[in-house]
Amino acid sequence: MKNSVKLISIFGAAFFFLSISLSMAQKPGAAWVVPAKYKSMKSTIKAGDASINSTGKELYNKNCKSCHGSKGLGDGPKAASLKTSTGDFSSAKFQAYSDGELYYMSFVGRDEMPNFEKKITDESDRWAVVYYMRTLKK
Amino acid sequence: MRIAELIRKSTTSLLTAAIVFGSVTVFAQDETNEAPVKERPARAAFESGLLFDAATTTLQPSKTLEMIIQHRFGTMDNGVTDLFGIWAPSNIRLGLNYSILDNLTVGLGTTKFNKMQDIQIKYNVLQQTRSNKIPVTISLYEVIGIDGSADDKFGIEYKFSHRMSYFSQIIVSRRFNDMFSLQIAPGFTHYNSIDSTMDHERISISFAGRIKFSPQSSVIIGGDFPLQIQAISEHTKEFNDNAEKIKPNLSIGVEVATSTHAFHMYIASAQGILPQEDIMFNKNDFFKSGILIGLNITRLWNF
Repeated sequence: MKNSVKLISIFGAAFFFLSISLSMAQKPGAAWVVPAKYKSMKSTIKAGDASINSTGKELYNKNCKSCHGSKGLGDGPKAASLKTSTGDFSSAKFQAYSDGELYYMSFVGRDEMPNFEKKITDESDRWAVVYYMRTLKK
Repeated sequence: MRIAELIRKSTTSLLTAAIVFGSVTVFAQDETNEAPVKERPARAAFESGLLFDAATTTLQPSKTLEMIIQHRFGTMDNGVTDLFGIWAPSNIRLGLNYSILDNLTVGLGTTKFNKMQDIQIKYNVLQQTRSNKIPVTISLYEVIGIDGSADDKFGIEYKFSHRMSYFSQIIVSRRFNDMFSLQIAPGFTHYNSIDSTMDHERISISFAGRIKFSPQSSVIIGGDFPLQIQAISEHTKEFNDNAEKIKPNLSIGVEVATSTHAFHMYIASAQGILPQEDIMFNKNDFFKSGILIGLNITRLWNF
C-alpha cells in the first residue's frame, strides 16, 4: 500500500511539472504579414559590401545578439524569457525571406520583436545588418 | 572680471544664436528647389551622450527618454579600512534627458552632494558626415546648477541667485574610424556665489576618447583640465600661487553598450559629478591616491 502511494505521488508530481513546462514552452510566432511596400524594398548597399562584416556585424552584436544569439540560432541570454521563439537565422526557412521582408521583420518589428528604427537610424546600416544575417546561413 | 563676464555672455549668446539660426537654416533648406546630394551623417562618435561626468556629441533621436544613474564612491586613499572607498560617503546623480529634436536634448537631474539640482541643454550645431565633407561634430552644452544647501551657506545677505552656477561648453568630436573617437571641449564655469579665496569663473579644457575593442566594449578615457588664467582672476598672482591648486579630473575605464543601455565602470579623481563642481572644486590628485571608483548606467526609451 505504501509503495502504491509513493508511486502515485511520483507520477502525480511528474505530470504536474510536465504540464507546467509545456505551458511555459515557447511558441513559434505567427506568420509575418509584411506590407507590399517592404516586400519589394531594394537594398541601398550591394551584397558583399565591406560594411556588412564591419558595421553590420557590430550593430547585430550590439542590438540583436542578446536574444538571437551570436550565430542567430535563437540562443541569446534573453531568449529564454520570451514567450515567442526567436527563430533560427541559419535555417533555410529564414534565409528564404526576401531582403525587404527581413528588413521589415528586423526594424519595424511586432509584439516581442521591438522596433529598431530609432536605434539604427541610417538606411545603409540597416541593410548591412540584413546582409550580415544572410552570412549566418548554414 | 570684465573679461570673464564677457566670455560668459558670449557663450550664452552663441548658444541662443545657434539654436535660432540653426532652425532658420532648416527652413531655408526646405525652400530650395534643387535636390542636393544627401550627405550621410557619420555614426555617433560615442555610444552614449554621457562619458564619465562629461557630455559627448552623441544625441539620441527625437522623442527618446534617457534615464541616467551616476555613482561615485569615496576616494581609495584609506585603503582596506573603508574597502577602497566603497564604504565611504558616495555621491549619486539621477537624471532624465529627453530629445525634443534629433539635435536638441534637454535634461533634469539631482545630485546628492550639495543637493545640486541641474537643468541641461545640448544642441548639435554640426554633424560629421561619412564623406568627411564635414569632418567633425560640434555640440553646444549648458548646465545650470542650483545648490539646494541651507541658506546660511551663502552668507549673511542671502539671495536665491547665490545658489546658481553655470557651465558652458563647446564640444568638438570626431569619429576617426569604427574603433577610435576623440573629442575636445573648451568650457567656461561661473558660480554666482563662491568662497572669497576663489574666483567666480574658471576656463577649462576637456578631452575624451574611446578605443573600441569589441562590438559592445570600449576602453574610455577622459580629462577635465581647469586652467588658472591670471587675466580673469579676482586675486593677485602671488595669492593664486600660494593657494591650494584645483586638480584635473582624470578618468579611465570600460564602457559596455547595448541597444538600450550604456554601462561605465571606471576610476576617476573628481567626486562632484556635475562638470562645474568637478572643474571648480576638485582637489583629488589622480596620481596621489585621489582616485575613486565610478559607475554610470543609462537606459533609453523610444516613443
